[in-house]
Amino acid sequence: MTRKQRQRFHMTAVFITLLLASSFVIVPVLWMFSTSIKTMEEMFSLPIKWIPEVISWNAYKRIWTDYPFGRYIFNSILVVSGATLISLLVSSLAGYGASRFRFLGRTAFLTFLLITQMFPSIMLLIPYFKLMKTFGLINTYGGLILAYISFTIPLASWLMLGYFDSIPKELDDAASIDGASRWRTFWQIVMPLALPGLAATAIYAFIVGWNEYMFALVLASDPSVKTVPVGIGELIGQYRIAWNDMMAVSLVVSIPLIIIFLFLQKYLVSSLTAGAVKG
Amino acid sequence: MAPSSKLRAKSRVPTSLFDPRQTPGLWFIIPAAIALLVVVAYPLLYGFYISLFKTNLLTRWEFVGVKNYLRIFTSSDFLETVFTTLIFTIGTVAGQFTIGLSLALLLNTKVPGRAFFRTILIVPWLFPEVVVALLWKWMFNPLYGLFNDILLKLHLITEPTTWLGNTATAMPSVILTAIWKGYPLVMLLMLAGLQAIPQEQYESAEIDGANWRQSFFYITLPSLRKVIMISLILNTVWWFKHFAIIWILTQGGPIKATSVISIDIYKTAFESFSFGPAAALAVIVFFIVFFISFVYQRLLGRDD
Repeated sequence: MTRKQRQRFHMTAVFITLLLASSFVIVPVLWMFSTSIKTMEEMFSLPIKWIPEVISWNAYKRIWTDYPFGRYIFNSILVVSGATLISLLVSSLAGYGASRFRFLGRTAFLTFLLITQMFPSIMLLIPYFKLMKTFGLINTYGGLILAYISFTIPLASWLMLGYFDSIPKELDDAASIDGASRWRTFWQIVMPLALPGLAATAIYAFIVGWNEYMFALVLASDPSVKTVPVGIGELIGQYRIAWNDMMAVSLVVSIPLIIIFLFLQKYLVSSLTAGAVKG
Repeated sequence: MAPSSKLRAKSRVPTSLFDPRQTPGLWFIIPAAIALLVVVAYPLLYGFYISLFKTNLLTRWEFVGVKNYLRIFTSSDFLETVFTTLIFTIGTVAGQFTIGLSLALLLNTKVPGRAFFRTILIVPWLFPEVVVALLWKWMFNPLYGLFNDILLKLHLITEPTTWLGNTATAMPSVILTAIWKGYPLVMLLMLAGLQAIPQEQYESAEIDGANWRQSFFYITLPSLRKVIMISLILNTVWWFKHFAIIWILTQGGPIKATSVISIDIYKTAFESFSFGPAAALAVIVFFIVFFISFVYQRLLGRDD
């Protein structure tokens, strides 16, 4: 084989391997969709058909009429947006402070952020349960938002710190020579440049909050505040599980975020991996 | 997401920590610091406090000191749970690492359609854990699930298996689900690491007559050391304490085949209402996780 032939052979092998790997993703997702358009009878009949004889979109209607998913989605959006906004606010301040200044306590703060990644969130669950009972925060939006900022603030702070580090410090210096205060420098000079980083951070914080299950399971069990993941998880408890409804609602709550992420993937991925690669 | 490097950045700046020009920094971190003290530090300490009691958190608060810890350490259940958790963690992390790194290497070639492949291959990571768990639970369904159907058609098995209902197959099934959910993050980190390696290094190695294996072991792996370390530490820590996927797939069963520490803590606290021992277990997990990341840093070398 010539060099060129060998290379072509090599690329074909890579291509086929990637195709095979992708099928491990595509087949389950298609199966989800196929299940969601089946009737109960066809879902529980053999042999398995990928395209059902009766294509039924009723599951996509039932999730709004037979289950309170409208309410759960509203709850999720409210709680997760609240936690995301708070995290963005305090984390952009913290990220800026830790990026631009070398003050006493900076290392302690960053180490603490790191340690928050280490303890099991279940370690917070028991004290949260007790404290929120004491303060009347069980089954409230506020309580769940408090629980969520415990993991969105550290995440957002790391991401914002990385982003501020990528904005040249000379800008700050120029502004302060021109007489701008620290606050004005932050707010009017650096923050506008950090908006892309802020957007990426917001999306990540929103995704982790949107997907959270355990805290919501314990701290928001009442239907009035229940979030989407817990609502979906509950469907498993039924005697004859309505997999078609479950797959329909799963797709409905996952696809919007997946589309947003994939559209912005190049930019979102680089803000996530920047710290790990550069160092 | 590069903790140690940012901590280290301090040493590059030769200013004194008491320099008054640096103090505004403190004001900027105060809101975040206060928030974290309230929602993290205080509850953590309170959790430690609970671990010293025999309590149902309502009427009964009996101080027992370290008895909860002693009981945990002397029971064989604890060792068994830790062992189960380690199997789950090692299987998941090793699987994600192997698949993530391999796919990253494949995507780092000039293969046609690689942007498309990358997009498809990220997707599992973007589904909520609950959704992934339910999807696989449905796929593992012994009668109507896709998993048995495909394996039967490929003649890999001769009769349907109850993957999640069998003590021998439950753990591998749970691990498979966790790998599916988590490999994309490893893939993305490794891919970013690979793309940061200067191409000239490979070119000069090729001129010197290095084969691909030598290039891989002498250029690729050493350059990736830092990314590998970060992704291994983060992944181990995350999956060691994982809850949602296992809870939905098996609730720790059958018997105790997939009863990892998080499941054990959850059941001890919210099903048996023994909050003291559950809190003690959680404290122990914290130290185990801390120890694991310490060992990694030692094994994979200093981060500099």
